[in-house]
Amino acid sequence: MRRRTLTAAGEPPVRMYHVSKSYMAGQYALHDVSLEVRRGEFIFLTGASGAGKTTLLELIFAEETPSEGQILVLGRNVARLGAGAIPALRRRVGVVFQDFKLLAERTIEENVRLALDVVGTPRRDARSRVFAMLKSVGLQHRRFHHPLSLSGGEQQRVALARALVNEPEILLADEPTGNLDPELTIEIMDLIVKASTRGTTVIVATHDHSLIERYGKRVLRLEGGRIAEDIPAATPTAGAMA
Amino acid sequence: MSRVLNLIAIAIANSVRGIRGATTTSLMAVLTISIVLVLVGSASLLVDNMTGILDEFGAELQLVAYLENDVSKQAQRELVEHVSAAPGVDRVEFVSKDEALVRFEELAGGAELLAGLDENPLPASLEIHLRPEARNADAIAILDAALDGLPGIDELAHGQEWIEGYGQAVSMVRAGALVLSMVLGLAALLIVANTIRLALYARRDELEILALVGASRTFVRVPFMMEGIFQGLLGGLFALLLIYGAFELALPQVRIGLELVLGRADLHFFSTAESISLVVLGAGLGLLGAITALVGGRT
Repeated sequence: MRRRTLTAAGEPPVRMYHVSKSYMAGQYALHDVSLEVRRGEFIFLTGASGAGKTTLLELIFAEETPSEGQILVLGRNVARLGAGAIPALRRRVGVVFQDFKLLAERTIEENVRLALDVVGTPRRDARSRVFAMLKSVGLQHRRFHHPLSLSGGEQQRVALARALVNEPEILLADEPTGNLDPELTIEIMDLIVKASTRGTTVIVATHDHSLIERYGKRVLRLEGGRIAEDIPAATPTAGAMA
Repeated sequence: MSRVLNLIAIAIANSVRGIRGATTTSLMAVLTISIVLVLVGSASLLVDNMTGILDEFGAELQLVAYLENDVSKQAQRELVEHVSAAPGVDRVEFVSKDEALVRFEELAGGAELLAGLDENPLPASLEIHLRPEARNADAIAILDAALDGLPGIDELAHGQEWIEGYGQAVSMVRAGALVLSMVLGLAALLIVANTIRLALYARRDELEILALVGASRTFVRVPFMMEGIFQGLLGGLFALLLIYGAFELALPQVRIGLELVLGRADLHFFSTAESISLVVLGAGLGLLGAITALVGGRT
């Protein structure tokens, strides 16, 4: 049985109140950021390198704690989260990176199954869920292959499958298409958008303006650690409207 | 419950995967534990056998109270009872004048030496055997004081130097073994911890990904602890085999040497319980090494 902190149906999954993150005195990676992300919303996080995109994502999945301010993620205050409570939060937040972070010596199936193993999912149940997930990203036939025998796009699809197999409430993607050519970029982005239409809240950090224009989602532009622009979605997403 | 069983099955699978994936590092850990346990085990076996030999000598330690010539049989019986109740006394054996003469003749190889004498010059005596805990100089001094001046006792004889030497030898051997075991144990712990730390470093990518997908500390740590236990068990078994082999190989030569010097050589290997303890000690060492590495590495 999964234990989860109950959040009210309309409660935003991510809320930030005057959040700052500083690694050195007087120098802010993120400065006085206040933000509310609605359930099922799709957000593009953009800005130049060093603008604070990755730091913002790291604060949401509790890789970092804020130097100032408060962050509520799925009803939990990240600033006060003990080390023992972080894993429980991360099981509800899927993360995808530019460099895929797959284990080369494990098969595709084993890589995806990791997210289910950590919660003790029975092997048979885990296998069928992994198969279904791999099928949804079109890689079920490669499940016994190893990551290095796959193309970059395929590896990112595996990483995405691993992030989504546990049905997370939030999906974070840090430059997920940074290593891919334009055709594969669209392929991956379509899969991420598909996850969002099923109700998952998605935040994607990207440099790629063509993607932002193509999908017409809400855009947060960071500059020097602050939110310089918050552009609403051209067409509100289904989840965000609820 | 089934979730817990699944987590245990996954932890076992992960630890097997860890060992298979880092065979060289695992072998290093097994070998390190083996070497240390061979040293600790050999020292312990040596001390055990030395203590055994010393204890056998200790059992022969005795005081002799020579009696005056005119002590009546009733007084002799009372003396035996009295001395038996003294502190540190295990048992008392009465040796009559006649028995003393027989022993002397056996020792001297005939009766010629005393043939010219009209009467038996040897006194009756009490052979006082000591309890193991009283085989030291302090206890003997207390006993000495308790028997001093008892009517009927002419002289009390004991090998004080021998007794002190025996006590010191036993203490030194035991203290030496304890210090050696502690030093070797600590060295083993650090080496095993470092070996496991190397394994952790080699698998840092996996640990990072596990943390990302929400693995608890226990989920990450338990397979490493299982690896430590498994490596320790193997190391312990290997050490036991090596010590047994060396013991069997060296036994004939050592036995001959000891018989020549001491006139006896009752040597023994570990009992079953001691053998199991050595293997369990290996497992404990492996587990402790893993915990040290995990805590030190803040995993």
